[in-house]
Amino acid sequence: MTFLDIRNVSKHFGSVAAVSNVSLEIARGEFVTFLGPSGSGKSTTLYMIAGFFEPSAGDIRIDGAGILGLPSNKRNIGMVFQRYTLFPHLTVAENVAFPLRVRRRPQAEVARKVEEMLALVRLDRFADRMPAQLSGGQQQRVALARALAYDPPLLLMDEPLSALDKKLREEIQAEIRRIHRETGVTILYVTHDQEEALSLSDRVALFNHGRIEQVGKGRELYEQPSTRFVAGFVGHSNFLDCTVAARNDHRADVVFPDGSRLPGTPVHRGAHAGAAAGLMIRPDRVRIGARGAAATSAGVDAVLSDATFIGDTFHFVATTAWGAPVSIRVPASAPMPHQHAVGDRVRLSWDPGQARLFDN
Amino acid sequence: MTVIDAATSTPPHAPSASSRRAARGLAAVMPAFALVSVVFVLPVLALLLRSVLEPQPGLQNYEAFFASTTYLKVLANTFLVAGTVTVVTVLLGFPVAWFLAIAPAFWSRLLFAIVILSMWTNLLARTYAWMVLLQRTGVVNRTLMGLGLISEPLPLINNLVGVTIGMTYIMLPFMILPLHATIRAIDPSVFQAAALCGASRWHALTRVFLPLTASGIAAGALMVFVMSLGYFITPALLGGTSNMMLAELIAQLVQSLLDWGLAGAAAVVLLTVTLAIYAVQLRFFGFGRAAG
Repeated sequence: MTFLDIRNVSKHFGSVAAVSNVSLEIARGEFVTFLGPSGSGKSTTLYMIAGFFEPSAGDIRIDGAGILGLPSNKRNIGMVFQRYTLFPHLTVAENVAFPLRVRRRPQAEVARKVEEMLALVRLDRFADRMPAQLSGGQQQRVALARALAYDPPLLLMDEPLSALDKKLREEIQAEIRRIHRETGVTILYVTHDQEEALSLSDRVALFNHGRIEQVGKGRELYEQPSTRFVAGFVGHSNFLDCTVAARNDHRADVVFPDGSRLPGTPVHRGAHAGAAAGLMIRPDRVRIGARGAAATSAGVDAVLSDATFIGDTFHFVATTAWGAPVSIRVPASAPMPHQHAVGDRVRLSWDPGQARLFDN
Repeated sequence: MTVIDAATSTPPHAPSASSRRAARGLAAVMPAFALVSVVFVLPVLALLLRSVLEPQPGLQNYEAFFASTTYLKVLANTFLVAGTVTVVTVLLGFPVAWFLAIAPAFWSRLLFAIVILSMWTNLLARTYAWMVLLQRTGVVNRTLMGLGLISEPLPLINNLVGVTIGMTYIMLPFMILPLHATIRAIDPSVFQAAALCGASRWHALTRVFLPLTASGIAAGALMVFVMSLGYFITPALLGGTSNMMLAELIAQLVQSLLDWGLAGAAAVVLLTVTLAIYAVQLRFFGFGRAAG
């Protein structure tokens, strides 16, 4: 059952299309992230749901009822902003009470709810502090308490952690996950940080140039990217230039610039015979083997040009016969039959099903 | 947590370093301090001494000042005009400061230029301009009579009405500038946050915007009220002889009556009131925030 229904929404600023024909259905209680580079339309879409922008076209419905005619203050939506937008003249408790007071809730209910919310974000001891006396992370938790105080069915979060340092970010991510579990609120979360998106959400909508490139679970975006942009944006990837030699339903044979042929790479769309294409393979799916030993598996010959140990993984760079760099990640714990050193002539191989082919 | 850590983790050598910095800072302010001492503090002390020493030692000057209904009326006039000017500049200045903060760059720069230029224009010229506008046969009276709104010219000059009009105009920039700085410093996204919290425009105005501008209003009001209390030129030119303000009285006591003792007492009363108001301001808005 669809809770939030975004239908063919577009937003133009003058002649610039910030959002083009975005559609997305979100179920009650879902945690959906809008991921994308800056200027991709993810925040603009969020602001249209919040009521700060009017869409140029399309409709937005909550529980089947259109919300576009309503001003922000009548939409009953919670929101946490990128900057800490607490009211600087009010204490922590008064900030959390604000949405309840403007709703003219009885004093006893306000007091009870403020206490409950501050306990939820674990700031009960800070009720009488002023916002300026709190750290960035604490202010953002107060903002979260304020946004949830009136039990809105939908919570919008616009890059809420981008101003915090990494350690604090991880701590508050865990808080957000816990609060989502405990309250069951539907969350729409905007970020440009793919790790944050993958770790927090049930589903990720990847934005690019005002459109949604792909929607799915984080793992789907990583393992079955439907466009070259998705493959490049989510996780690390290698793109090897090649030519499509033959193509059947969902697989293609490709020829690399040095003439070596590789059969059976999956294709999502495009990549017709004769076309120039890019073969995408994740650095952690590439195996390094001795030259000539197991030349039967899919792969290419290369020379190791760089090796770095970064704690839990080895990071290699190999250069193919035609000069293309390939990045390879091997867990430090993985059994390695050979000690590889820079300058070694090696064979890079992978399971053909792990690679994907995209039009160039 | 983090806040507490930061507060308690001051390195042990910090105080000596900061006191050395303070000492260097003190050395740098000495010339200005010396100048202020010689040309301001000493004369004020001398005046204060005269108020209790002339014509003979005692508090008779203060007794005379507070016993005279004429002088008390001057004091009341002074407060009435300063208070009215303050209230009117808040009411007129607030929308201007707001507009300056939110208007497109062109309009805000234009308006800013008008405010600043009017402040830079010679004070006498501006006051004489008001004399021309407000006199019996001035533009204001002729326009009102031409429109048939009044049959007799209104007494707009040589009284407290004229003084209030002229001073309101002169004091407006001193209200607009600090208020504008305060409004500019407000993060506009707090209004988006207020809207999503369910606040109507009225609630956003009364519960968020006005409280956030309170320190700017206080700073501007303090500046305008205190400056108005001791203002001389505008009351002297636009006011009447029957309704004096305190600065005029002091000038008259010194220039015409050569009564330095009574003039000193009046000046001390003015200074005391000013300092008392400043103390109240500091108590409620703090030093930094009073400056806008």
